Amino acid sequence: MNPARSLVLNRWLAISGLALMILLILLVPGVVKMIVVAFLLAYIFDPIVTAIEVRGLSRTASTIVFFLFVISIAWILFSILAPVVYNQIQTMRSGAGSRQNSEVILRLQAVVRTKLGFIGLGTVNLQEKIEQFSSYLSDTIVDFILHEGLSMILYAVTVPFLVFFLLKDGREMKKMFIGIIPNRYFEFALDLLYKMDLQLGNYLRSQFTDAVVFGVLATIALWLLGVKYFLFIGVFAGLANLIPYVGPIAGALPAVAVALFDAGDVTLALQIVLAFIILKLTDDMLVQPLLVAKGVHMHPLLVLLAIIIGGELFGMLGMLLAVPATGFVKVVLQESIVTLKKYRFTD
Amino acid sequence: MDFWSLFGIKKHEGKRVRFRDTLRSIPIFSELGRRELASVERILHKREYAAGEVIFRQDEPGLGMYIIETGRVSILTDQSHDNMTELGDGEFFGELPLLDGGSRSATAVAKTPCRIFGFFQPDLFSLIERNPRLGVKIVLSLAAIIGMRLRAVNERVQTLLAQGAPPAATGRRLRPKKAEEGSRRQ
Repeated sequence: MNPARSLVLNRWLAISGLALMILLILLVPGVVKMIVVAFLLAYIFDPIVTAIEVRGLSRTASTIVFFLFVISIAWILFSILAPVVYNQIQTMRSGAGSRQNSEVILRLQAVVRTKLGFIGLGTVNLQEKIEQFSSYLSDTIVDFILHEGLSMILYAVTVPFLVFFLLKDGREMKKMFIGIIPNRYFEFALDLLYKMDLQLGNYLRSQFTDAVVFGVLATIALWLLGVKYFLFIGVFAGLANLIPYVGPIAGALPAVAVALFDAGDVTLALQIVLAFIILKLTDDMLVQPLLVAKGVHMHPLLVLLAIIIGGELFGMLGMLLAVPATGFVKVVLQESIVTLKKYRFTD
Repeated sequence: MDFWSLFGIKKHEGKRVRFRDTLRSIPIFSELGRRELASVERILHKREYAAGEVIFRQDEPGLGMYIIETGRVSILTDQSHDNMTELGDGEFFGELPLLDGGSRSATAVAKTPCRIFGFFQPDLFSLIERNPRLGVKIVLSLAAIIGMRLRAVNERVQTLLAQGAPPAATGRRLRPKKAEEGSRRQ
């Protein structure tokens, strides 16, 4: 076939494929979440697979080795942590019933009744309200697990599957994408893609490592303080730390709530607040400068808007992904402008 | 006719072998083994240009070199609009930005419909990261070619100075010659 005609045909095929993909994404919105999560994870784990590849293995073999390693770690963690998680859910379901706890609530109830009687809280039963809320919370968690079970299984199967192929064939996919760019813009696109790859990779990996470090430190701190459900709260604090400004506070709140309402210990609540302040300072002064040295600077207002929009569109997951996604858009725009200036496309 | 040729496999294999021979004939890849050439081939970008289409423009950022599989390419400069050189099948051009990422010192235009392979700096960096042994071989070959050209330029300067040309005039005369574009197959 004539080279020019085959090029036009290839381009049309690629554009049709892309349009079909966009249509599919719009028709099945859940797919967007899966693709975004898989894309981010593939970006984060790519250097590990490349490091295995350097040992002389093919890309496919390196990806398989990496997945076998991840599955083994996940299995070990699951067998160690599953009983702990089960016990923590059971304890949560059995409610806040300790004697010490009841005493604190009764004291609090007396204060509320005397001081806030004028706003209609003179006969409030705080013990009952807290028990109702606690039971509602644990039932909601169990309901969520039962009802969302199928979609969680779908996620658990589809996301690793997507990550596997993005890791294995990501390079070819990039090459295919570059292949459909018209000749005039193709070197520019390659240049841009390379710079974005570098910046975005650094940014996402540093955010992920920071979340893991913060999560581990928070779990250890809560365990040392003897806080119940330390594992849940620690993991939550690590994830919440991905959301700037509100994240660390949101991460500390459940621990403080558990200390106050479950253990009925005000001193413990203060210790938790202090621990989180120390953790945040350590994160800001030690961990972040080491990891996020080449971070993407974003205006606080932009970050806040991104979190709100992410939350509105995709809920909790949207809030977590809002900042990396905004970072991605910012890097794309920034690099596009810088690279575009160097090329004379107006000629 | 054998079984595989029914599916066009032999045809592609033949094409691939021919292309690897073309690659091996390029000084940068001449020291590479069969598997190493296959690794290089995987990172090349295949492009097709119509006659008269610009491949790259002078002074624009350069990202790497091009290897002509089929067709003819003219190398021109903005100042003279003259054909500095014309290149054909198996020849390569624009290799300096592969090392320094600098701007193009000439314009390359497809004279006939061309099938060209691009070898670019980001892919070379990625190859160095994944296969440092192969990466070093390529970079050393590139350095050797550039060293050879520097020696040739030095000899030319010496000859011109010996002929009594003032240093400024020597520099002016040499300027177009130090262009990185338009390397002929050795």
